[in-house]
Amino acid sequence: MSSFLTSSFMHNIFGGLAQGVIFSLVALSLVIIWQSTHVLNFAQGAMAMFATYVGLTEIGRGVGYWWCVLLSVVVGMALGGATERVLIRPLYGKPEINPIVVMVGFLAVLEAVATSIWTSTARTIAAPFSQIYFQSHGKLVLLSPFIIFQIVLAIGIMLLVAALFRFTKLGLQLRASALAPEVARLLGVRVNRMLTIGWMLSAGVGAIAAVILASGSFGLFPTDMDGVFVAGFIAAAVGGLESPIGAIAGGLLIGLAEQFILAYWSPNVAPLGGIIILVVALMIRPQGIFTKSVGRRV
Amino acid sequence: MIRVDDLSVSYGAVKALRNVSLEASPGLITAVLGANGAGKTTLLRTISGLVNPVGGDIHLGDTSLLRMPTEEICRLGLAHVPEGRGVIEELTVEDNLRLGALASKVDIAEGLEAQYAQFPALGDRRKKYCATLSGGERQMLAMARALIAQPRVLLLDEPSLGLAPQVTSDLMKLILRLCESKNLTVILVEQNAKGALRIAHNAVVLHLGAVVASGDAQTVAADEDLRRYYLGLVE
Amino acid sequence: MTWPGSFRKQETTHVRLLTVLGLTVLTLAVTILLPPVADSQLAGGAAITIVILGLSWLIGWSGQISLGNSGFMAVGAYAAGIWAHHHTASPLIFTFLLATLVGGISGLIVAIPSTRLRGPYLAGMTLAFAAAIAPLAQNFTSVTGGEGGLFFNTLTTPAWFLHFFSGANASINANAQWTADLAVVIAGFMFFLMANLFHSRSGRAMRLVRDNDVAAELMGINLSRTRTLAFVVAAAFAGLGGSLFAIINATVRPESFPLTLSITLLTLMVLGGIGTLSGAVIGGIIYSFSANLVSHVNSLTGVNPTSNLGSNMQGIIFGVLLILTMLFAPRGIAGVVQRIRSFVHSRS
Ligand SMILES: Nc1ncnc2c1ncn2[C@@H]1O[C@H](COP(=O)(O)OP(=O)(O)OP(=O)(O)O)[C@@H](O)[C@H]1O
Ligand SMILES: [Mg+2]
Repeated sequence: MSSFLTSSFMHNIFGGLAQGVIFSLVALSLVIIWQSTHVLNFAQGAMAMFATYVGLTEIGRGVGYWWCVLLSVVVGMALGGATERVLIRPLYGKPEINPIVVMVGFLAVLEAVATSIWTSTARTIAAPFSQIYFQSHGKLVLLSPFIIFQIVLAIGIMLLVAALFRFTKLGLQLRASALAPEVARLLGVRVNRMLTIGWMLSAGVGAIAAVILASGSFGLFPTDMDGVFVAGFIAAAVGGLESPIGAIAGGLLIGLAEQFILAYWSPNVAPLGGIIILVVALMIRPQGIFTKSVGRRV
Repeated sequence: MIRVDDLSVSYGAVKALRNVSLEASPGLITAVLGANGAGKTTLLRTISGLVNPVGGDIHLGDTSLLRMPTEEICRLGLAHVPEGRGVIEELTVEDNLRLGALASKVDIAEGLEAQYAQFPALGDRRKKYCATLSGGERQMLAMARALIAQPRVLLLDEPSLGLAPQVTSDLMKLILRLCESKNLTVILVEQNAKGALRIAHNAVVLHLGAVVASGDAQTVAADEDLRRYYLGLVE
Repeated sequence: MTWPGSFRKQETTHVRLLTVLGLTVLTLAVTILLPPVADSQLAGGAAITIVILGLSWLIGWSGQISLGNSGFMAVGAYAAGIWAHHHTASPLIFTFLLATLVGGISGLIVAIPSTRLRGPYLAGMTLAFAAAIAPLAQNFTSVTGGEGGLFFNTLTTPAWFLHFFSGANASINANAQWTADLAVVIAGFMFFLMANLFHSRSGRAMRLVRDNDVAAELMGINLSRTRTLAFVVAAAFAGLGGSLFAIINATVRPESFPLTLSITLLTLMVLGGIGTLSGAVIGGIIYSFSANLVSHVNSLTGVNPTSNLGSNMQGIIFGVLLILTMLFAPRGIAGVVQRIRSFVHSRS
């Protein structure tokens, strides 16, 4: 058992899961927005990065870790809501290229502004969990208290989001607004408000992903989330962009795949793993592995 | 009470309503009749704010509904069962009902019990996804979802569509009973003129977006020309 | 937003040829006057124009959104670099042909899974492709030169050109001008090709597929083949543009074609006018002088150009321009000009 935990196979499993939960969070955040407004938010990663940087600046002022996390999430949510109101709302009913282009522009602005304020070097924020790996019989287990924290935090957030959508009145209204906005309106649901809240929630979830990156040993730099966004998008697309469960599973799958390619081939080829998974998945089921509706145009 | 004054609606070049006026009062059913494309659905959609008119006005009591968002109009106590019923298939029966109650001050649990008592078939299927419901069950759900919020005004768009004759006639009786017991203002859009005229107090006949006749339901039902040319009741 | 191009009056090939020739000659004349620095900038802009022509065709005419054209550029540039590395004596034209061909093939490879996708899926997929190119180039070091990249021989200015413009002496002036002229001629040629393509049967089929794929299919148009063709053409243009870009800069490296370049391309295309030929040229011109634009904004706002903010000004300006254009003038400069023209026409 103990030699199993320290095997290189398990090293990769742990590494892949640690990376995968980050992808899952981003994928989940993309799905929340996609479901409610049918926009694929290309600035999702950059928004999360920006919010986390704002949160990070506070650590210098002697505030604790948890305050910074909270601040990042709150800033992320505010940014998400404002984005929906200002940049996305004028584009409802326009060709689908319009919001894509606008969000690509927003991505460029956020990254350039972040770089000019905080420079392009990585910043870290120390989480109150040790980064030192556990040992078993003198051999390393590629898990540290921090990695466990990271996985638990991500899964906790996912469960929280799931519970919100499934069990609360707000969640019901969010789902109805996404599924049938006109019917929801006729039942008195303030759909516009729901769309804004959807973007806020999504941006909050995204911010957690960036916070985890910033808390890790490599820290966070302004374009750090580009790669994470691509992986998160692939994860969400594998699941069909409609399914939160699919997005989460997709994230873990991509995380593991990249980790194994990285370990057994080359880190540079790792991004290809995700693309290959996406191509194969789309060949098998063009509407996404986890999408129930058949024949949906993708 | 709903009052529509001189209402005109266009979809681009298509004039869907031309200077339509009507009044619907509490405790009475006002039937809106007419052939396909007469503008019946458009009338209801304009009342509930889904379509903006180019002219005219709509009042609920003393409040003008013009330019008010749909959700706020509904929060005033107006329930609109849309054409095709608008049941959200991806939600369960109970979630659909709950959604109907959210915007009102009604206690949700009590509301659910009341509707399950009224429509026992829904109670049996409360955990089922609506995609699995039959047409009749969907109509029941749509009615229950509208009623759970205890509205003052009920707009019904072709509730009989696709229902068996027996079910239709039960439904019509139910509408009449609800209207009278709860003092509801009901606007009933129907192509099934016969069924609608049997329970309606007043009737309005639309043709190509304009009112061609209105008044007492019995008078409309007795008018040979109307029956022949607009209502398709004479072979 | 109504799509541009649908109302364009049928032009004849002759008129098109004359227009392109006129514009090209005019630009060549301008290169004589410009200082060497501006000539080099113009050369880059011409290369970018070729890429935007392809992108505009893909997005504007076939309705497929790609964020991966910087990847196709990289493919073309590496193809050219690898070829030139092994065949130092090979004429430039072969290098360009090869880059175009390999670019087109990479487009085909991306298109096969992608043309089944729509809108945002497609955009994400192509973005993933573009993101994977740089790491791949780093991986196959023996072929691509890894981090250091590959180098091209500097362009040799032909004797007759020197004779004509520089009294037979090689000079920075004449070299820069030759580079710019070469790029402009190639861009003019590609412009002419694209203008014909726009008005060809395939071009019309493309628009029909974009606007109403059901009707197109009923008329016997093969949807997936048409969409694939759009990709191949766009990628071939990008491949050629990328190789030209690399040859102008005398090098191709993993970071020559970053993801931000895809954003820049999109910005320029949108700014110029999606799906218009003139928009691609406008985009190329803006690219040529974007450095001047940025330094101008820096000096206007009093920002130190070497400061953090100053060095990120381009990203900020392009991003803001992209957003504003999409929100307020989604048909770009070409669309605005068109509207002013028809306004003036309706007045007179
Ligand atoms: N969204 C729309 N856009 C354009 N025209 C519309 C739209 N909706 C309805 N129309 C047109 O307006 C007219 C009235 O349509 P409406 O749906 O109100 O008729 P209706 O009386 O409800 O018909 P039916 O009995 O078939 O339901 C028709 O000519 C229809 O084609
Ligand atoms: Mg109707």
